[in-house]
Amino acid sequence: MIQTANSTKHDNESIYLPEVATLIRKEPMTDLDMYFEFEMKNKPLGHLYGQFVELSIPGIGEVAISISSPPGKGKSFEMVIRKVGQVTSVIHQLNPGDSVGIRGPFGTHFPMEDLKGKSLLFVTGGQGLVPARSAILHALKNRGDYKDITILFGCRDPGQRLFTSELKEWKSRDDIVFLETVDKCEPGEWDGHVGVITTLFPQLKDIDPLETHAIVVGPPVMYKFVIMSLYDMEFSDKHIIVSLERHMKCGVGKCGHCQINNLYVCQDGPVFVYDTIKHLKEAI
Amino acid sequence: MDIVKIPENDFYKFVDKKIAEKSSRIISVVRKGTKFVFDELDSASRMCLDYDVTILPPKKYFQPQKETLLRFVPKQADSYEAVNEFEPITLIGVHYYDLAAIYLMDRAFSEGKKDENYLKKRNNALLIGLYPTHFFKYRFSSSVIKGEQPYKVADLMLIHMDDGHFALEIVTEKGRAYIEGAGCKKSDYTLKEIEDAKNRIKDDQRLPIPVELTPDYLMKNHDHPVWEVFGEKCYSCGSCVFVCPTCYCFDMKDEIDLTLKSGERTRNWDGCMLENFAVCAGGHNFRGKRAARFRHRIFRKGVNLPLKYHYWGCVGCGRCADACTSSIAGPVKVFKYIEENK
Repeated sequence: MIQTANSTKHDNESIYLPEVATLIRKEPMTDLDMYFEFEMKNKPLGHLYGQFVELSIPGIGEVAISISSPPGKGKSFEMVIRKVGQVTSVIHQLNPGDSVGIRGPFGTHFPMEDLKGKSLLFVTGGQGLVPARSAILHALKNRGDYKDITILFGCRDPGQRLFTSELKEWKSRDDIVFLETVDKCEPGEWDGHVGVITTLFPQLKDIDPLETHAIVVGPPVMYKFVIMSLYDMEFSDKHIIVSLERHMKCGVGKCGHCQINNLYVCQDGPVFVYDTIKHLKEAI
Repeated sequence: MDIVKIPENDFYKFVDKKIAEKSSRIISVVRKGTKFVFDELDSASRMCLDYDVTILPPKKYFQPQKETLLRFVPKQADSYEAVNEFEPITLIGVHYYDLAAIYLMDRAFSEGKKDENYLKKRNNALLIGLYPTHFFKYRFSSSVIKGEQPYKVADLMLIHMDDGHFALEIVTEKGRAYIEGAGCKKSDYTLKEIEDAKNRIKDDQRLPIPVELTPDYLMKNHDHPVWEVFGEKCYSCGSCVFVCPTCYCFDMKDEIDLTLKSGERTRNWDGCMLENFAVCAGGHNFRGKRAARFRHRIFRKGVNLPLKYHYWGCVGCGRCADACTSSIAGPVKVFKYIEENK
């Protein structure tokens, strides 16, 4: 063997080298979902609305997780992580003070700057509320920047509701419309609307499709039905913004897992204007 | 471009000299049973430049089946260290279609976020290309590769002449410096002799439609029965993508050593033809059907990469057709089926 091998350690050029963040607090949200607040060790994350990071625990692995808080919290940021596999199970066991690896932020974002002066219709299903919340909180904080704001949230059953205190606050506000539904519930468990999210659409009044942009985030099955309902309201494809879920393994547009035709969802998305992807048959 | 010539025997002696110098690992094609592989040489006598195709393309030297990206102490995030292992290598006898593939790989790993784990290996490699002297029944490179494509990465190109000599095209200054002292003489071959020697081996197969039309052609045939018909026969074994010189999909895994005190994050070959490649957290599989995976692979070569790089995403090496248990993987067969079943 020829002894010419070079090994560069602390190679800051590596796109796979994570930064360090520390867990500040965590709170259970549902039986599977946990809220986390992390703080970057060195510099702020510098993310925008709807972006994601690759979060890792050395020896366990790395997973793509959406950022749930808007920018502007200094070095701290929030996430809601569902326990679905080995890595997320270990993340759920972390305690305040424990550290994790963070790469990113990655991907495109909800264009909140460009949407100033417009009306917003958020259509969120289940965990889709997690990335959408970064945009929702921004819009609510800067309420004067936007015209009408309507938020729809649907989830499988009442036990799956996320950010329940915030949902309560949104419901009490008179400067926005907030409608909520669950797919199903036990008798006496829920006194709100029951049905899939599109069954809320008949309650939407006075939405001007020319002035409103819809931001749609939810499970894969939701998109087709929501977009059909938006078409019924005469929304154009250019006014529908979606955030797509895919297996985003590397986050840097190389590994191929998240690819839809010529697009890497981790780089070209996850946020797309529907007009730009509707011709891609595998997109939704 | 300067062209020189060197007797074959002298070239082999020159390779032995380079092996003895130990300034870089010398990799070339060697026999493995009835087949051929790229391997490190300890003697030029093992080198076999008269081959049909290698089992794996040379991409394994730039994107190894498994490589370490990070080292760490388990569960201590501040212990992450980037790892980038590379060394000078010289690849001798890379067929022109594999060079064309390396060009596509270079684009993929250098555009957007630069992947230094690939690029450091690549930039420390000297590439000596070769025009094939042996027929391979699945090869169709001449109908999909543009002439200049191999020259975008080669440092030198070897051409077998009929008189016991190699003609050597000097493509880069790095290549010129490398063969200094090899005893090359000025070429006295005519351009026609050179071109004839380059094109000595005619491909038996060719793409039935012009390569530049494939993106539109495939898009129009997105719902053609070919995907179901071929997909039905696919075992989802991934052989076609693992032997492919332009496939670079990967997975990343954490491994902890037995002491539990250190570990590594490794990058491993992965492939879009494997059943669980597009599964998301929560279990939804975005390409759960074999037909969808089969279409994705062909679209990647015939639509996505051409639209992005303006070169076809497949270099026509024929390895996938050869490796496929069900005899369905070769792009020519797919296009022919569409043509015959319009």
